[in-house]
Amino acid sequence: MNAGRGSGKRRFSLRNSLMTKYLLIVLSAMVLLPFALVLVSAATVFQTWTGHRETTEPYRSSSHLEEIWHREAAKLANASPGQIDAELRRLKDAYPKASLFWVDGSGTTRLQLPEGQDLPANWTASYTVQFMKNSSYSRIYTVVAFLGDKPGNDRGFMVFKVPREAFESTAAAIDARQGTIFVSGILLVLGLFLFVSLLFFYRIRRRLVQLQNAMTAPSETGIPAPVETARSDEIGRLEQSFNVMVRKLERSREREAEEEALRRDLIARLSHDLRTPLTAIRGHAYGLGEEAISDKGRESLRLIDRKIEFLGTLIDNLLSFTLLSSGKYPYHPRRIDIVRMARTQLAGWYPAFEQAGFEIDSDLPEEPVYWEADPQWLERVVDNYLQNVLRHAKAGRYVALKVSAENGGSIVIEDRGPGMTGESEEKGAGIGLSIASLMLKDMRLRSEVRTGPEGTTVVIRPA
Amino acid sequence: MAKRVLYVEDDRDIGRWVKEDLERRGYVVDWLISGDGAVERAREADLIVLDVMLPGLDGFTVGKRLKKEAPNAPILMLSARTSMDDKLQGLGFADDYLTKPFHPDELAARLEVLLRRHGMAADRQIECGHLLIRPELQTVTDSLTGEEIPLTAKQLQILMYFLRNRGLILTKEQIYEAVWGEPYLEGDKTVNVHIRYLRERIERDPGNPQIIETIRGIGYRVR
Repeated sequence: MNAGRGSGKRRFSLRNSLMTKYLLIVLSAMVLLPFALVLVSAATVFQTWTGHRETTEPYRSSSHLEEIWHREAAKLANASPGQIDAELRRLKDAYPKASLFWVDGSGTTRLQLPEGQDLPANWTASYTVQFMKNSSYSRIYTVVAFLGDKPGNDRGFMVFKVPREAFESTAAAIDARQGTIFVSGILLVLGLFLFVSLLFFYRIRRRLVQLQNAMTAPSETGIPAPVETARSDEIGRLEQSFNVMVRKLERSREREAEEEALRRDLIARLSHDLRTPLTAIRGHAYGLGEEAISDKGRESLRLIDRKIEFLGTLIDNLLSFTLLSSGKYPYHPRRIDIVRMARTQLAGWYPAFEQAGFEIDSDLPEEPVYWEADPQWLERVVDNYLQNVLRHAKAGRYVALKVSAENGGSIVIEDRGPGMTGESEEKGAGIGLSIASLMLKDMRLRSEVRTGPEGTTVVIRPA
Repeated sequence: MAKRVLYVEDDRDIGRWVKEDLERRGYVVDWLISGDGAVERAREADLIVLDVMLPGLDGFTVGKRLKKEAPNAPILMLSARTSMDDKLQGLGFADDYLTKPFHPDELAARLEVLLRRHGMAADRQIECGHLLIRPELQTVTDSLTGEEIPLTAKQLQILMYFLRNRGLILTKEQIYEAVWGEPYLEGDKTVNVHIRYLRERIERDPGNPQIIETIRGIGYRVR
């Protein structure tokens, strides 16, 4: 029993929550960001170690250069001066920013690359010391290596000088590239986060729009159809609640229809049950009239008969009104010729008016006039007005039924009675007029009534 | 010869009264409280008066069976139900429909109309003014001269249609559709022309017709 109620106010559950989902996305972004940094750094380092080792980045680091220089020097332990020159030229090609020269065992400056490095022809001990001293603090990085890489063999030394900027710019370039990778890595993670968020909210939006469409989708009954609920998150529960509401609405609509049918049935039965004794009363009153009674008694019987007739009409009107106001009165509109309808109707009423001594006038055009209406309804409306004329306008002894084709057509009923405000017996036919106006309204027609002591004119025309 | 009426009515008050009233008017009334056994009795009846709300079988069902069993006897539905659907349903098989509370004179008048409409084949002759019509022979004679009036098939059909609906005003549309059996077309003068010729044959003074009365703007009537 609690199951149904429980689903309505289920407690917040972490597992089936959109909030949890979104928190998970944010959280994974937060975890992913440092992880991505590590990954990017690793990638940079990896790239440094693998790719452009010597060819593109010769001035990578001073220690690296020093190592190379000493290795080259070691290789030249027993080389002839020509070989040493050739080697230096090769190295100059490899390190174009560097200045190279070598000094042989006797202290004579040999090949300078490039020329004119402002060096003495012969190296004295003191100059050598001065050179070493200067090079330590200079802006020019200097590597000195003994040929054969051993100080004792006295074969001389070779010097490699390169401006320190060469290293710095290289380091900056490397830094810049690493920075680019770093930034793009972060941007990538952020972009990914944004994309996933967007996707997340897009899907929420789509489901909400679907729900909204389901709510506003027109259906035959006016109640929206239930929606499919695939998930049990907040929106899923909203959809479930919506479905519960739809079912409730449907049930209440059914109940309403049942009650309506019950009421209709009741009134139909009541109208039947009232008519049966009324018929018997009428019969017996008639039977009484056949007996020998006084004139006064006969007058009373006539009154009884009239009242019974009137009561019958009232009961009929009550039933019709109930059916009409609940939209259950059968309505079948079609294209009808109102000229023909009016003529047929007047033909039906003619004897009754004739008997009551009325002058009957008609003005019906030769050409048909078409209206979109239910013929039964329109007949009933016109019957109602003609009945009123017969009942309340006897004094005028005149009735006219006219049809005009102008302005979409109109039906006119005229009498010369005392008018609707005038005194007449059997008042209270108001429900009949209510039925007439309800029917006219449903058929998009309207009636204009002009009444006065000289008579009444009713005009029925399209609204 | 008295006409036999089969009357089915479950309300005893109304039943007794209607039976007495109709008997006073010269009918032989066979009154049943329910629809049971009505089918067997229907064959002997000239006329059937049926209440719609009957215990057991409802009046509509009984009526349809009776119509099947005794197609020649006209059926008048008597009902306390007045809704349009009921009326239409009733008139689907019944020949007339009268709602309660009805006046005994109206019931009697309607029964007479029904008998006239359905019993014409049985009637040897119908009198109408100076005319004497023998339906089974399809002849019309002038009772003053004793001469037969020659009529075309359409003229005779129109006259018979008037006689079946004596006292009623018939519009040109109704006449056309009943006699020609086709929907009336606007502006068709056929009916007027036929009636003019018919009057020339049957009226003693076609300029001042006595048999077929013109109701100006509405239609024609034979009283």
